Amino acid sequence: MVPLSYYLMLSAVMFFLGVLGVMLRRNAIIIFMSLELMFNAANLAFVAFALYYHSLSGQIFVFFVMTVAAAEVAVGLALIVAIFRTKHSINVDQLSSLKG
Amino acid sequence: MSALIFFFTFALIAVGAAVGMLFSRNAIYAALLLIVNFASVAFLYLSLGAPFIALAQVTVYAGAIMVLFLFVIMLLGAERLPPSQELPWQRPLGIVLAFLLLIEAVYGIVFRVNSAATLSLPVVEFATPAEIGSALFSTYLLPFEITSVLLLVAVVGAIVLTRAEGGARRRALVSQITQAVATEVPEHKAETPEEEKELV
Amino acid sequence: MAAGPFNATMILAILPQIGLLALGVLVSILDLLWKENQKRNLGWLTASGLALIMVLAGVFTAPAAQPVLVFGGMLRHDWLSFVFQMIFLFGAALTALFAMDSEPLSRKGEAYMLLVAATLGMTLMASAADLIMLFLAIEMTSIPLYILAGFIVGDNKSTESGFKYLLFGATTSAVMLYGFSLLYGFAGTTQIYQLAGILQQGQFSTFTLIAVLMLVLVGFSFKVSAVPFHFWAPDVYEGSPTPIAGFLSTASKAAGFAVLMRFLLVVFPMTEHYWIPLLAVISTATMIVGNTLALAQKNVKRLLAYSSIAQAGYMLIGVASVSPLGITASVFYLTAYLVTNLAAFGVVTIVGRSTGSDELSAYAGLSRRAPGLAMVFLVALLSLGGIPPFGGFVGKILVFAAAINSNLIWLAVLGILNSIIALYYYLMVLKVVYLYRSEDENRPLAIPRSWAIAMGLCVVGILLLGTVFGPWYQWSVTAASSLF
Repeated sequence: MVPLSYYLMLSAVMFFLGVLGVMLRRNAIIIFMSLELMFNAANLAFVAFALYYHSLSGQIFVFFVMTVAAAEVAVGLALIVAIFRTKHSINVDQLSSLKG
Repeated sequence: MSALIFFFTFALIAVGAAVGMLFSRNAIYAALLLIVNFASVAFLYLSLGAPFIALAQVTVYAGAIMVLFLFVIMLLGAERLPPSQELPWQRPLGIVLAFLLLIEAVYGIVFRVNSAATLSLPVVEFATPAEIGSALFSTYLLPFEITSVLLLVAVVGAIVLTRAEGGARRRALVSQITQAVATEVPEHKAETPEEEKELV
Repeated sequence: MAAGPFNATMILAILPQIGLLALGVLVSILDLLWKENQKRNLGWLTASGLALIMVLAGVFTAPAAQPVLVFGGMLRHDWLSFVFQMIFLFGAALTALFAMDSEPLSRKGEAYMLLVAATLGMTLMASAADLIMLFLAIEMTSIPLYILAGFIVGDNKSTESGFKYLLFGATTSAVMLYGFSLLYGFAGTTQIYQLAGILQQGQFSTFTLIAVLMLVLVGFSFKVSAVPFHFWAPDVYEGSPTPIAGFLSTASKAAGFAVLMRFLLVVFPMTEHYWIPLLAVISTATMIVGNTLALAQKNVKRLLAYSSIAQAGYMLIGVASVSPLGITASVFYLTAYLVTNLAAFGVVTIVGRSTGSDELSAYAGLSRRAPGLAMVFLVALLSLGGIPPFGGFVGKILVFAAAINSNLIWLAVLGILNSIIALYYYLMVLKVVYLYRSEDENRPLAIPRSWAIAMGLCVVGILLLGTVFGPWYQWSVTAASSLF
């Protein structure tokens, strides 16, 4: 039997790696992939908890997260393509016309 | 015991692939490693009694979403990643998030209530595709309908953002793409970031 | 919890959403059928459609005294959600009118369709009573707004601001989702109204609960652009089409507040003593950062962006007061802020359209070029600054009163000091508008009819909220009462 906490630790580690990716990487596509990793980590926690409680809602949640992720990726990649057309670069640094 | 071996095998593959993705200097490799990560998590879903989610993970995430990623990377010819500096707004965000994560890591230890709990093997009737389906069309009917609107919005958005307007713009795009395709061939030969910049 | 068969209550509860969906589909179809020169009328159609939905919702969906959960507990049909839905619909209708004169948006049916879709998401955010529904509603709001922010495809600034908004939004929502997964792990349910009870019974350390609360707060702070998650706002507002920037700074922010209020008061009442100081600190930081950075701005759109960050700080004071008066004050403030800020962004739209610039220098001599326009700007900025007899004044009084009532006197004092700083830069802008001369003085600005109607509605709203505030105050009280 695998303890629940193992799954949770795995999910925490994956989430942490995703955050690191968002923080450290500068390429828009890689940042985006790291975001998917973060969503995936949350999903793993949901499925593990769903089994723990024997309740369906955790798995249903994951189903909806996947749909949302698909929509978000479609829009995000469209924006990346639109930016690349005028800039020929997808480095986040070079999005310099706007600085916070 | 075999369950533990199963867990650790796929957990290690998942973490290894994620770390690999994090440090990969090639966007294609990063995408492939992420697919490996998604696939191994799908195996974990199977062991957690979630066959429907596991298959959705493979078809939707590893299949559709990651193929889209690969498609865009190759379309843009953006597989090689030059090193570069940080944006001003990212560092503070990073610090705050890292702090939150630190708390989260501690939580794993503090969360005593469940830490001793082991996950029993799923009973046969738990979360079959049929059950998920009937839940989606009863309790979760409204969110399910909303996802259809959401996907429609995403489709409209993707078209609006990438569509070129009028004849002149379309011709410009075609020439741009042919140019991109033409430059992609020498780009593969570029060994260093500096060389690549010259090509662009 | 299986949903029963459909009944009239369920359908009535989602009447605004059904209307919005129908309107979005209608706009998309007409966009295909109409000729290029007719398409500007899509703006009229969208605005009047939204107004019609408001009327229908007002007549048929006013909630009963007893709040009901509908659709398997996905939505809670209560006064809070009802009042917020009205606010969103009104804001979206005004935005549609403004969009008719903003070049990239005016002739694109997609823009109106996306606007309607974002509004649909917001109405769901206000009434979501389940984590699944809430997450989906937040994304349903955000994704169309990402597209709208990046809508000017040929313009680098716009697409980049859209992408920046998306990256920031998706990151914060991933963190929030992780928080949701832990909440689900604690309670075994995704129903917001069951969570509180289970969390109270369970033996969870306060520390754990606070940690989860912080994760969830990340997502909400992004939506209301509170410090430290405000970085995206100035860039995104500057890059996106001006009417969309106005919509982001008002309706989208209001949706964030609707969720924040419900979530904090319903799910986390037992950790009140910890998150009240936290919220008070966030509120202070938001006010100070917004106001001090606004002082240095030379671009009016950025200035309004920082000012709207600061405004979120004042509204947070009301939430941090955690009393019926505090929530009432926040709801009232949000309403006043919505009409005021939409008016301000409307002026920026029209000036930007005619002069091609959002820099402060483009506003020199505005009072001579377009006296009416300058007057609207005067009313809007003074209301933002909290000067009677405008709506912003009553909002500020209520918020500060709520803070004093809940023994957060230091917060009220800081809020008042901040309002004084804010007044300084609002007056600086007005000085340029009224006292500076420019060479184009004798060239009047063209003001389209749609814009004049929208602006008239805003000004009437500002004045009504500032003088005859009784009815709106009663509405806000009723809305607040559904949380206590």
